Amino acid sequence: GTSKRIKVLTRLTLVVSDPSHCNILRSTSANIRLFDIIAVFPKTEKLFHIACTTLDVDLVCINVTEKLPFYFRRPPVNMAIDRGIYFELLYTPAIKDSTMRRYTVSNALSLMQICKGKNIVISSAAERPLELRGPYDVANLGLLFGLSESEAKAAVSTNCRATILHGETRKSACGIVYTVKKPRKVEEEETTLPAFKKAKTQA
Amino acid sequence: MARAEPPAASFERRVLRSAAEYHYLRVRLELPDGVTRPTVAQFKQLVVSALRELHGEVGAALPVDVLTYEEKTVSAILRVISSGLVRLWSALTLLGFYQNRRCAFRVLQTSPFLLALAGNSRDLVLD
Repeated sequence: GTSKRIKVLTRLTLVVSDPSHCNILRSTSANIRLFDIIAVFPKTEKLFHIACTTLDVDLVCINVTEKLPFYFRRPPVNMAIDRGIYFELLYTPAIKDSTMRRYTVSNALSLMQICKGKNIVISSAAERPLELRGPYDVANLGLLFGLSESEAKAAVSTNCRATILHGETRKSACGIVYTVKKPRKVEEEETTLPAFKKAKTQA
Repeated sequence: MARAEPPAASFERRVLRSAAEYHYLRVRLELPDGVTRPTVAQFKQLVVSALRELHGEVGAALPVDVLTYEEKTVSAILRVISSGLVRLWSALTLLGFYQNRRCAFRVLQTSPFLLALAGNSRDLVLD
């Protein structure tokens, strides 16, 4: 049939446990521009706040393999939602181990309470093909995490596409140049001399 | 000359949401090579243990029936009460191991009507 080829994108996940690790994101180094999607995995509350408010990333990964060392607060989460940053949850650890299952669900529920189900992306961290699950199965897992049906479906479809577009816009815009019409002063219109004949210095 | 107005059609629209009692799922268990395929009793036990692992004793008590089972392809049609569909589906999704070997449940079709499981447009071949 006439089907398009699968597009393979590259992604970088930065595990940050120290504010100095974020410097690589601030400088527009050439290495960062090679990746389509940039994700950050904050380990402390301060770094979570920095990631949501100032860092130029597409995804903020939420830890599912251990109990969160910090509680989510509303202001940074709301700022991240306004900036177009998505929160990522993983489901493959839940398949492997029952303790991780508990942590996954509890961390996801506490995130849902704060962000009300917006800007969530569910993805797998699969290392083998048998650890992958179909899209409808993953959307059903979203229902288990406390999302509504439409939010769960969006977590595997529209939100993912929005993340990719966010990554593309991040690569493209570096700065904006805009012109503003300067209002002309009334006295200048009365003189008849053209500009190159006007005295350059004031007498 | 004024045309006669056609008589206004009267109709009533009724929307039934989640009126079906049961939901049917066609599932397939994907196993790695070399693992002996489970019998129907072992399959049912696997489904119940998956429910118990995720949802506890109350989940394991969910009334699930295996309507058909094919040992050759390890695929089955399950019937579950509609309120328990999310729980059963999530339990099947998160099942990772069968006899200490990695496995995966693939839910091929799901429908509130059994007849809908007869045909699958995904099996059609595109040329």
